[in-house]
Amino acid sequence: MNALRWWWGLVLAFALVALVRVFLPLPFANEIIIFSIYTMGCNYLLGRIGLISFGQPAYLAVGAYAAAFYLFYFGNNPYVGILIGIVAGIVVSFAIGPLFVRLRGDYFALVNLALAVIIFYLMQKVLADITHGDNGLWFLTSLASTPVLDLSRPDQFFIFAFLVAFALWAFYKYLDDSIFGACCLATKINEDKVKFLGYSSFKIRLFAFVIANTTTALAGAMYAVYLGFVSPEITSPARAADPVVVTILGGVGTLYGPLVGAIIYTGMKDVLSKVFGNWELVIGFVLVFIMLAGEKGIWGTLEPLIKKVFLRATGKGVDQTGSSRR
Amino acid sequence: MTNNDDILTVVGLNVAYGESKALFGVNMNVRRNQVVACVGRNGAGKSTLLKSIAGFLKPTSGTISCNGANLVGRPAFAIAGMGIKYIPQDKKVFSDLTVQENLELGSYASQDYDWAPVFDYFPKLKILMDRKAGYLSGGERQMLMVGRAILGGPKLLLVDEPTEGLAPSIVMHLRNVFKELAKKTALVIVEQNLPLVCAIADKVYALKEGRIMAELTEREQIKPEACEKYL
Repeated sequence: MNALRWWWGLVLAFALVALVRVFLPLPFANEIIIFSIYTMGCNYLLGRIGLISFGQPAYLAVGAYAAAFYLFYFGNNPYVGILIGIVAGIVVSFAIGPLFVRLRGDYFALVNLALAVIIFYLMQKVLADITHGDNGLWFLTSLASTPVLDLSRPDQFFIFAFLVAFALWAFYKYLDDSIFGACCLATKINEDKVKFLGYSSFKIRLFAFVIANTTTALAGAMYAVYLGFVSPEITSPARAADPVVVTILGGVGTLYGPLVGAIIYTGMKDVLSKVFGNWELVIGFVLVFIMLAGEKGIWGTLEPLIKKVFLRATGKGVDQTGSSRR
Repeated sequence: MTNNDDILTVVGLNVAYGESKALFGVNMNVRRNQVVACVGRNGAGKSTLLKSIAGFLKPTSGTISCNGANLVGRPAFAIAGMGIKYIPQDKKVFSDLTVQENLELGSYASQDYDWAPVFDYFPKLKILMDRKAGYLSGGERQMLMVGRAILGGPKLLLVDEPTEGLAPSIVMHLRNVFKELAKKTALVIVEQNLPLVCAIADKVYALKEGRIMAELTEREQIKPEACEKYL
């Protein structure tokens, strides 16, 4: 029964995204979907394991450049490009994870930011011969048409991105309901007590780190394929806070938070930037308001109200003990 | 001083927090199915002793062994994996997880999914399964922590001040549970509730300023007035 309820919620959420596609321009819909995938990794790190990272653009760039190198130098199949982006995300996360997840709080946040800065300068200056520096790598016109869903066409790319996001949401929901999800949350609440039970909190943090950053790398590879272009701007330290902002806007640790946050953030950026040059100022004020209102984010605030209405409508009363984590 | 029945042997244990020494040459041994209590004032080093055995503090010198295996230097999760479970004093459970999820964590770690013994000891947990642990009372949290720790049939339970701040009826219930548990496992309990200590302990170590001041090994010696001298 519970499973039916959350599947129903998920389908409803994505039906809303499909409506977004009907009523809003295709680029906007595509950006929302990719941005929500980008935010999912950050949301998992922050909401489930308690690690705040200001270096998510680094992992985005890993996926984007891995896909771009393949698509620019070696081949033209976008599916293979995305697959290479995912593999690169796994390899990089496993390579640096054992060092990074030993750090806590501020240090973890800053070491990731430092990685984003390193990758930015690597792509912009040190590897400029390969990356073409600020000019970036262009391969939009050389993308091959693929059967079933042709990713070189934005309308079909939307369907692909939609399906990927749907699968990821289901995957994260599955993780949440699994023992691993419980271990992650337990590590966030009290790391020492996880050890009392016989779990290695280091391994839990490492696997959560790899899962989250591979998701981010996937988003990077999708950006590369969708735009047909990658430049160092993708890992700009100036944009390092974006996924954290979207996570907080949507609601930290909530299933639909990344989607809601991405819609609000991208929407505000799109609408406000047309009429108001300093649109980031508005985002800043909204964030301050959200923090002062209880740190739950937009979905985190709406969810209990929706549940209340749903339970009243079905005559089941209101659950005071919160039997579910979502 | 050890024999084949000893499940835990601590020899010449010295522990320090930075420059500040907390334990001085502590010796201790625990036999199978034995209930060992540690009494002493606040700051005597009782909790430090338990944390050192559980792997949360690294001794400066001395040995801690379980069935002949050296525990010093092993990570806490590996020691828990050997069947030495630590129940800390603070009664902090995984508040955002339900009672069921808390038990599942214990089950998965120990690969023991039989919760019948847990419900035999603590029937109340059965009706609280869907409740988030953060909503439990202090007594219920303690039940959950003990219940979770006994999954997998631990060799040794290290219990730090289990009755602190609990209602008398729950203290009585826990006393009976510890008596029952002692038939299957060894227990080391840090406790200031002397009537409880005297009711269940087979051996008492009295600690003062990081040193063992007395070791009461005979049942007739273990009386509140005998322990009180060291509090």
